[in-house]
Amino acid sequence: MNSKPTVLNIDSVTKDFGGLRAVDDVSFKIRQGEIVGLIGPNGAGKTTLFNIISGYYPPTKGKIVFKGNNISGLSPFKLAKLGIGRTFQIVKPFAGLTVLENVMVASLLRYPKKKEAEEHSWKILEFTGLADRAYMQAAGLTLAGRKRLEISKALALEPSLLLLDEVVAGLNPAEAAKTVELIFKLKEDEGITILIVEHIMRVIMSISDRIVVLNYGRKIAEGKPEAIAQDPIVIQAYLGEED
Amino acid sequence: MELLPQAIVDGLLIGGIYITIAIGFSLAYGVMHIIDFAVGEWIMLGAFLGFYLHKGTGIDPFILLPVVFLVFFGVGYIFQPLIHRVLSGKRGNPVLMGLVFTFGLALMFRGIALTAFGFYTHSIPAKFFQGSLFFQFGNFFVTIPMIRLAGLIYALSITAILHYLLKNTDFGLAVRALAQHKESAGLMGVNAKKTGSYVYGIYVGISAMTGVIIGSIFSINAQMGADYTVFAFFVVVLAGMGYLAGVPWAAFLLGLVQSFFLIYLSPSYTLLAVFGILYVILLISPKGLFAKGV
Amino acid sequence: MHRKILIFGVIFVIALATIPLLVHDTFYLRVITEAIMWIGLAITWDVIAGYTGYLNFGHGAFFGIGAYTTAILMMRAHWPFGLALIAGGLASGLTAAFIGAPTLRLRGAYFAIATWALARALQQLALVLNFTGGPDGMRLPPFLNPEFFFYAMLTVVVITFAGLWILLEFAPFGLKLKAIREDEAGAMALGLNPTSLKIQSFVLSALPTGIIGGVYAYWITYIDPASVLGDLVTDQAVVMAVFGGLGTLVGPAIGAVLLFAFKTYFWAYLSDYQVLYLIILGAVIALSVVFLPDGLWGTILKYKSSKSPMPLRNDTGETK
Repeated sequence: MNSKPTVLNIDSVTKDFGGLRAVDDVSFKIRQGEIVGLIGPNGAGKTTLFNIISGYYPPTKGKIVFKGNNISGLSPFKLAKLGIGRTFQIVKPFAGLTVLENVMVASLLRYPKKKEAEEHSWKILEFTGLADRAYMQAAGLTLAGRKRLEISKALALEPSLLLLDEVVAGLNPAEAAKTVELIFKLKEDEGITILIVEHIMRVIMSISDRIVVLNYGRKIAEGKPEAIAQDPIVIQAYLGEED
Repeated sequence: MELLPQAIVDGLLIGGIYITIAIGFSLAYGVMHIIDFAVGEWIMLGAFLGFYLHKGTGIDPFILLPVVFLVFFGVGYIFQPLIHRVLSGKRGNPVLMGLVFTFGLALMFRGIALTAFGFYTHSIPAKFFQGSLFFQFGNFFVTIPMIRLAGLIYALSITAILHYLLKNTDFGLAVRALAQHKESAGLMGVNAKKTGSYVYGIYVGISAMTGVIIGSIFSINAQMGADYTVFAFFVVVLAGMGYLAGVPWAAFLLGLVQSFFLIYLSPSYTLLAVFGILYVILLISPKGLFAKGV
Repeated sequence: MHRKILIFGVIFVIALATIPLLVHDTFYLRVITEAIMWIGLAITWDVIAGYTGYLNFGHGAFFGIGAYTTAILMMRAHWPFGLALIAGGLASGLTAAFIGAPTLRLRGAYFAIATWALARALQQLALVLNFTGGPDGMRLPPFLNPEFFFYAMLTVVVITFAGLWILLEFAPFGLKLKAIREDEAGAMALGLNPTSLKIQSFVLSALPTGIIGGVYAYWITYIDPASVLGDLVTDQAVVMAVFGGLGTLVGPAIGAVLLFAFKTYFWAYLSDYQVLYLIILGAVIALSVVFLPDGLWGTILKYKSSKSPMPLRNDTGETK
């Protein structure tokens, strides 16, 4: 596995908001074709790190290297062009547009002609299982539908790296199983590298090749799921959250 | 050069009035996230209420201020649920609809005022504050009309009362919680709707009172609203939207700009200067002079 | 779908073009010409407001810039009408880029404020400058040919409508603008550059507005700050688009025709109560927002789509 090239290198990234340090000197690498899980208690800095990687915040210190290029501080739309797709934890589809139109907006990045973008969007919707709701207003989707639409939009960008933020949490077990299956398909069939934030331990443990644990903005552990599950520091961090 | 101290003093005296125009407006923005295009019209309507009350009763306008406040507090309190409804609409982009809504209100109020009050210009004479203070330092002369001084004192009192309310009462705590974080304020037991109604009532009430003061210092007519709307925007953008502490400084700056144009250039360039400064600020520091806006 | 609309549009335009052959009464021809003008002003306002989600409360400024630029170039520089007209459109477009660049990076409220302040400042500017004629305004060389102006206005508005239709409904540009309107941060993650798209949209809205202003100036032969830079242009465009239906081209066009017909009737019979008109404008805007947020056309579209058989199943979150 180590022979695979590094897709994303997060190099001592720090982010301050005023006096608050949300991400503190975090470094790790993601290799091609891997699924890396990012976990940690509430407020550990996972979503902030996502926002830094996807260009919504510039890092205060450190840099992000994507396929050999320093991308820190680039705007989100440039990163989308370079091949980084992301979903949002708080799913906010373009409510006034149909499901198909939502995905088409993303497809236009690789297929600037409307007709081709539409064809591509249909393929994505077939793949993610939303095709039967294509003409529905996105505002009318259930939570599960919205989360799947989030993934569809990110996929329509044809990304080489996909950042998934809580795409399983909040779904019922049947829906969750379907989404997990979808993520595996992305890895196996499409060869997409994935960084995933997820609250549900069972999911993250089964899905990830490797796991990075954050607490109070710092990386406290990194390793195989089995090792992480046994790691006393990680257990301590999660137990600390309970009380 | 002899006019310089006068220009500065005039500017500060006018600027005081602009604090009260902008502070309620900024508060309403901070809490309800509404940009009220009718701000100038509230001022105008308040001024006319003061004018007719004064005409009918002969009571000094400064004594009428609490009455005007109460009436317009009530009006604002009644209007707020409608605005709340628009802003919490399910349709995408409720903020946009809120802007359109108050724009429509402004047009309607202007039309109603023109119909009811005509195109005439009036003033509201305040008996209590007549004459002027006169100072001389060597070659420099400064005249301070009592009425303008009274206006400044009114403005500073309103600011002080508001400051006290926000810092030292439960209501103030709720307002600050709402301004900072809507969702978590709800969790803390703040009733967003009710607090919003009070805030909107206070804002409309203060604006209406300020209209009366403007009527006794300058003059009033049914079309005056639009200019004061521009002034309110100017102060609030310069201060940083929703950043109350910046309001006095921005208001005094506007007063100075206005008095310098009045004395040294021509008042007809004032709006141009206001726009020019607004543009430059938006270009270089969109969050206001203190970079604290939202 | 698009072919049907195209055929319908062509027939409609041909029908409009025959009007001067049938209507010889100059009053009615003038009314129809102005109605067409308002269609143009309402749809151009809707480009930035309805499609992109940014409210321009100074649309009248772009109309006025076009009118004044055309007038000044014709009167002071003796340019021919056609050339002066194009310059008027460009001046409006450039002003939009100038105003849009700093304000469209920010929240919508800033943009609404800046455009509103711009309109007031420009009115003031036209009042104090010499080459605009100050409060006296400007007279253009009279060219009393109602048919010419009917066709000039029709041509400009039809080209504008067709151009906007192609860009906003046919090409992907409109979809991108709508995405920005719905969720700007989300749109960025999908590769859209919001600031650039918003500025393009604003220029696209302002440029034809300036050209319409230029045609108007030459047609009416007299412009002053109150008539072409006053509030009424913006106020009416807003009512027409909001009442007709934001985010569509047909809605504002319908709104324009309805409101203008009402205004003409109102002016003819109730000219003593002109200020009542303002109340009506304001009330229509406020009531539309509360009770008809999709506008007339948007509501009809919704009703139609709820009646048509849905090719979809209920959304249960499950798929086969």
